[in-house]
Amino acid sequence: MEIRPILSALMRNKTGALLIAAQIALTFAITINAAYVIRDRLAIAARPSGVDDEQRVLAVRYTMNSPQNIDAMAQRDLRSLQAVPGVESVAITNQVPLGGGGWSGSFAVQNRRESPSVNAGMVFDDGHLLPTLGVKLVEGRYFRPDEILVIDPNTSRDNPPTALVTRGLAKTLFPNEASVLGKTVYLGNTADSPALQIIGVVDHIETPWAQTSERHLNSVIFPQRLLQPYNYYVVRLRADAAPDTRQQILDTLARNEPDRVTTRGLESIADLRAKRYRGEYAVAGLLLAVTVFLLIVTASGIVGMASLWVNLRRKQIGVRRALGATRADIVRYFITENLMISGTGVVAGLVAAQLLNALLLRQMSLPPLPWGGLAFGVVALLLLGVGSVLGPAMRASRLSPALATRSI
Amino acid sequence: MLKMEGVQKIYRTDLVQTHALRSLSLEVEEGEFVAVTGPSGSGKTTFLNIAGLLETFDGGRYTLDGKDVSRLSDRERSKIRNVKIGFIFQSFNLIPDLNVYDNVDVPLRYRGLASGERDRRIKEALERVGLASRLKHLPSQLSGGQQQRVAIARALAGSPRILFADEPTGNLDSLMAREVMNMLEEINAQGTTIVMVTHDPELARRMHRNIHIMDGQASDFEDRSDAPVDRIAPRAAAAAPAVG
Ligand SMILES: Nc1ncnc2c1ncn2[C@@H]1O[C@H](COP(=O)(O)OP(=O)(O)O)[C@@H](O)[C@H]1O
Ligand SMILES: [Mg+2]
Repeated sequence: MEIRPILSALMRNKTGALLIAAQIALTFAITINAAYVIRDRLAIAARPSGVDDEQRVLAVRYTMNSPQNIDAMAQRDLRSLQAVPGVESVAITNQVPLGGGGWSGSFAVQNRRESPSVNAGMVFDDGHLLPTLGVKLVEGRYFRPDEILVIDPNTSRDNPPTALVTRGLAKTLFPNEASVLGKTVYLGNTADSPALQIIGVVDHIETPWAQTSERHLNSVIFPQRLLQPYNYYVVRLRADAAPDTRQQILDTLARNEPDRVTTRGLESIADLRAKRYRGEYAVAGLLLAVTVFLLIVTASGIVGMASLWVNLRRKQIGVRRALGATRADIVRYFITENLMISGTGVVAGLVAAQLLNALLLRQMSLPPLPWGGLAFGVVALLLLGVGSVLGPAMRASRLSPALATRSI
Repeated sequence: MLKMEGVQKIYRTDLVQTHALRSLSLEVEEGEFVAVTGPSGSGKTTFLNIAGLLETFDGGRYTLDGKDVSRLSDRERSKIRNVKIGFIFQSFNLIPDLNVYDNVDVPLRYRGLASGERDRRIKEALERVGLASRLKHLPSQLSGGQQQRVAIARALAGSPRILFADEPTGNLDSLMAREVMNMLEEINAQGTTIVMVTHDPELARRMHRNIHIMDGQASDFEDRSDAPVDRIAPRAAAAAPAVG
């Protein structure tokens, strides 16, 4: 309504206005990028692991102290674990999703040097792992019991002839194939690389490392039990399992020849997720703190500036009221003025945000800022400006018109 | 035009109560040019503030232009100030960041007039006070007398029914003061009621009527026999040549 006179008055008091605008621009640039990184980190931390109901799936890491008959001991442990009330199913494997450590190998479509190879996690399934984890098979079939190989790494370099792959790996290895069933992949890309025939595809099983790159999608599942003294027992609890089931599991394992098995930890997949993504949460939390701090500083700056201006203009406000301005007119004046300043700041901030984003793009692998997010940021910062100026503006509107005649 | 009956105003601070107006009763007819005189602190400005709806009062009745204004909302009071009343202050009270044109524009914008209408009124008002050539000047680039003339133009642009002036010449040297007084008399001659606070007896003598405020009360309605006053038909008086 009275944009032009407000603007011309503002142009005669540029310094303070420009300082606030610059502060808003900087806040905008940093906040929008921080929010973007926060969102990116949280999205990574929220990626599905492929495990159904992570809270109910426990991973027990163990080392056998004096392994004489590894397989017999493991089978006995599995049987006693199965007998613990509240346990739905058990399996033995070399690595678990988000577990932190495990096996990986290079897989190629051809056993020739020229064939590009893809790195993927190697999961050993004893024939019970996928149902215990709750990983979904989307194509083909699961392993038959007679397919499971028992391999002693000291005496054998065998590999099973069949395998399952994740959907992510299937797409990477065979980008143009509608189905990968029956295809062969090689563990390595040399002439003597062992061949594996793909008999099925699982939706997803997160690698132990949960990389931030696309590689976290790649896993190959082997039908085998590896006779090594350190492994994972995977336990799926029933929904109605008693709260002390975890302790019972540890007790059960301890009872089974205590000097021969040491458990080094029992954690649910949900626990492992929290541990694995602690860094992501820390980054997000830190950025959030910085962002909130900046927003508070900026809001305080606006409140301070607006309060100062209200005080400097007491007389003028009284005169305007005397000349017929309503309280709403006075509030509107300050809000309009603030929107001009914030608007300038936000426009400059849009440019600064793009520059900062370009810098971040080079440092981190982030896609460019989405327009929706920018628009949200613009609206949010303008609202912050208006919100901050509202208090001083209301105070200004309550000044008496009599200030026009009284010398204050 | 303006009628107060037993109006009271008490200023309360934590420690003291000031009875700025005890029981003020007075009347101003349409077309009059009235001087309000009285010693400093007697309540002249308080009276003017209440009369001009800048302040509320604590007791009594006040009728402005035939309307009881005791119980109006802040919004309604703003509207009346904007449309019916013009103010001229001792310290001019122009907005320092706005040029002459925009200063005169301020009340017109609050009135929500269309820009063409505003432009016409602004130029006409500034023409009347002889400042049509200074539209782009800032107040700081004008003399005191010129600033007060801009303030008069600002008051006139809204075509008010009544003008309130609080010591309008108090900050001016005698030459400029005379210029402003002549201008006010001319405005009054054209029909606008003017109530002016002054403690300059010389100026007061030029007016139709003096109201003397003493200790928060209008002590008397002092009709000056030598002034050409016709209380019954004040417009007739206004039509008479300005006294000088
Ligand atoms: N806002 C206020 N708070 C307290 N006392 C006031 C206020 N304004 C005026 N007064 C007191 O009211 C009395 C009348 O003041 P005023 O109307 O300004 O007198 P005048 O204009 O005749 O000099 C004085 O005693 C003054 O100190
Ligand atoms: Mg006074």
